[in-house]
Amino acid sequence: MKKVIVLLLLAVVGYYLVDVFSQISFGENRYEGQNVRDFYLDKSKNDLQVSNSVTAIVVNFRGFDTLGEVTVLFLAATALGSILYRRREDAHGGVVLFSASRIVRAGSHLLFAPILLLGAYVFIHGHLSPGGGFQGGTIIATGFLLMLLAYHDYKVSHGVLSWVESLAGLTFVFAGLGGLILGKTFLENFLPVGTINYLFSGGIIPIIYIAVGFKVGAELTGVLYTLLNEKEYKKQ
Amino acid sequence: MVGTPVQLIAIPLLAAFLMPLLGKAWKELVRITPGVVLVYLLYLSVNLLSYTIDNGRIVEMIAGWSPPWGINLVFSPFSGFLATLMLFMGLIVWIYSYRFKKIEDYDDYEPTIKYYLLLMMLITASVGIVLTGDIFNLFVFIEILGITAYGLTAFYRGRDGAEAAFKYLFIGSFSSVLLLLAIMIIYSQLGTLNMADIAQKAGELKPVYKISALVLFLVALGIEAEMFPLNGWAPDAYSQAPAPVGAAFAGVVVKAGLYTIIRLIYTLFDVGGTYEYLIVMGMVTMVIAEFAAISQNRLKRMLAYSSIGQMGLVLVAFGIGKEEGVFAALFLMFNHAIIKGLLFLSGSYLVYHSKDKYLSELNGIGKIMPLTSFLFALAAFAIVGFPPFAGFWSKLAVLTAAADSGMLLIVGLILSVSVIEVVYYLRVVNRIYFVKRETDVEIQKPTPQAMLSMLVLGAIIIAVGFYPDVITGILHKASAALLDKTTYINEVLSQTIN
Amino acid sequence: MNLGNNLDILTITFYGSAILLILIGLYAALVKRSLIKIVIGLSIIDSGVHLLLVSIGYLQGGTAPIFSPAVIDKNPVMVDPVPQALVLTAIVIGFAVTAVALALVIRLYRHHKTVNIDEIKNLKW
Repeated sequence: MKKVIVLLLLAVVGYYLVDVFSQISFGENRYEGQNVRDFYLDKSKNDLQVSNSVTAIVVNFRGFDTLGEVTVLFLAATALGSILYRRREDAHGGVVLFSASRIVRAGSHLLFAPILLLGAYVFIHGHLSPGGGFQGGTIIATGFLLMLLAYHDYKVSHGVLSWVESLAGLTFVFAGLGGLILGKTFLENFLPVGTINYLFSGGIIPIIYIAVGFKVGAELTGVLYTLLNEKEYKKQ
Repeated sequence: MVGTPVQLIAIPLLAAFLMPLLGKAWKELVRITPGVVLVYLLYLSVNLLSYTIDNGRIVEMIAGWSPPWGINLVFSPFSGFLATLMLFMGLIVWIYSYRFKKIEDYDDYEPTIKYYLLLMMLITASVGIVLTGDIFNLFVFIEILGITAYGLTAFYRGRDGAEAAFKYLFIGSFSSVLLLLAIMIIYSQLGTLNMADIAQKAGELKPVYKISALVLFLVALGIEAEMFPLNGWAPDAYSQAPAPVGAAFAGVVVKAGLYTIIRLIYTLFDVGGTYEYLIVMGMVTMVIAEFAAISQNRLKRMLAYSSIGQMGLVLVAFGIGKEEGVFAALFLMFNHAIIKGLLFLSGSYLVYHSKDKYLSELNGIGKIMPLTSFLFALAAFAIVGFPPFAGFWSKLAVLTAAADSGMLLIVGLILSVSVIEVVYYLRVVNRIYFVKRETDVEIQKPTPQAMLSMLVLGAIIIAVGFYPDVITGILHKASAALLDKTTYINEVLSQTIN
Repeated sequence: MNLGNNLDILTITFYGSAILLILIGLYAALVKRSLIKIVIGLSIIDSGVHLLLVSIGYLQGGTAPIFSPAVIDKNPVMVDPVPQALVLTAIVIGFAVTAVALALVIRLYRHHKTVNIDEIKNLKW
């Protein structure tokens, strides 16, 4: 009975979604007057000298959103720690994980360093090619995930992760405050922009994105580590 | 001007990232930092508010791009007033939480630092929601608010906090999805995400888009603002969260949700029938919530339902519109934050060690905890609208506004609902003072800090009750700022980088 | 329904599959009894919404909005980078919420030793 109601609800929802969205023409230029898209594309190429305009939007034009997003991640890691907190004496007994097979263990050692390298490449070149801080940080976290899954007793130092998180976050906020201090607005670019398609272009944009890359990598690794180290209660 | 609005967000963020490092140096810093930050922010906010009352809206651009290309913050008498109120309540809640035994009854300080971090960001997110001028930025801040709220609801280990938090999260996820869909629809048609720009171009939207976006927004934000029937998460969240967090939910979080609905309806969209919708939904919410409150036998849930009912009344007042209605609504919001805050804070100590917080455990507690009980009773009288306390003036304002608009049915309904409120609040006060004590649940005396925060709130209730003019001047300016849509658009869109 | 001249294969592919994802996720979130499956359902809804948002930005014949050396002097039509930036943020936020949800599930499991939603209903009206 409940399934029937839900299916009816889905039909109604689906109908309305299709109705509204099918009227949004796919692939057509819908704006006659000024719109943000053309402005961003133009300014990204000429004023900011950043070739990946998505990066320019994420870090500069809408950098405040990115700051909020970084905060969301930080708070999610905090909330996770708060929700899963256990006093030391309550958590003992077997771990829920077990080590993987020999192939995985051997392969993980081989792959770990290249994965980290790829992740670092992606977030350092965020302004030149597709990618950026979030993507690169996630890749780094997958490297750590591989090691965590291969070895059930792989340890990651919470202290180091916490330092990296905090310092990276501070870098971002200071980069923003730098603009304020130098008499401009928050998060405004205050370094020379260089030339497009070079590594040192875009002013503070690569700096912020690198900080974001470190932060996301550290945070995701911390989250995975916390979730994977769930211990069984010892049976009394 | 002593600072800029963006500092109201940047400085707490800075403190939040620093707190784990500070905690390693000296543990006490973890408790002190949010307080220091909130004091400074309150000082800054009051300064900005007095500036904007005389000089018009403060529009601040971020990242050096003028609107509508960049994100901007708008500190007007309306939004600034709300931000200041939120920061003030945040400070009160912090004072109350300082060494609050249940939160800090741990061997190491790890939960403590997480609590203070989440609390500080709860306030910051609400302030961000109120100050932003960009709808996607609004979405991001709403998400920050959500995550901190989920974490704080589930804070206590021994209770059903996780279940309440999961319910909240589940419903909150739907809210986010609907918000994204609405933002998508608007962006696809208007090509901009800036509120002032959208307000200007709203006329170009075809009705199907306008209506669907508005509906999506209202449902999404109705969840946050506890409108019926989307408020199922609220009683659980309020009762399971730590008491100061419950006060923060009632005083800060729900105001942010309400602000967004009002901003959408008053400034962004101009669809016929929205004001009537507010009145209807507000009345329905109020009636159902108050009836639910009267049948509760547990203190915190009763207060939660009562809070929902009050928000319904605020919606009605906004629905009445015009200067009178908006003034009444803002006055109600102000009073509700202070009075409900005091109810939650004092009520928590009255049922401190009780597991289920039944009302029967309040019997006769007036003799054992005289000051706390007095404050609770004071707040109860204030919220039902007895003169000469603060609540009387705001109720009067709402009734006047309704009567002046000829909505006598509304006047009748509000009065009847007020009677219901009187019943269930006086029932509790009666128990506190005039019924013999039956249970032998242990009593916990409030800490000096908690006492201080409660006394401050009580003093404000009495002060505003006798001298409402202290507040009404600001409220009139705030309501004028909200109603003035064209100036909002002009002041924002005329900003240029100099 | 106004499907008129817009009902071509691309529209169906993108909008249709996105909406289908949303509906599948919605079904899972509302009907399934296991908390983990509910969280997965929420995650699927997110994926659908993100796909929908990115599809809005497409321009016919447009290329990626990156001014690489090969493309920088030719001034091609570029797709809208704004929805891509918005979805970037939305994906991260969706992930964060999912992580918190899973932590809550773990804690509920610790307490009740089950993830079945019917057994974990302490909080009544």
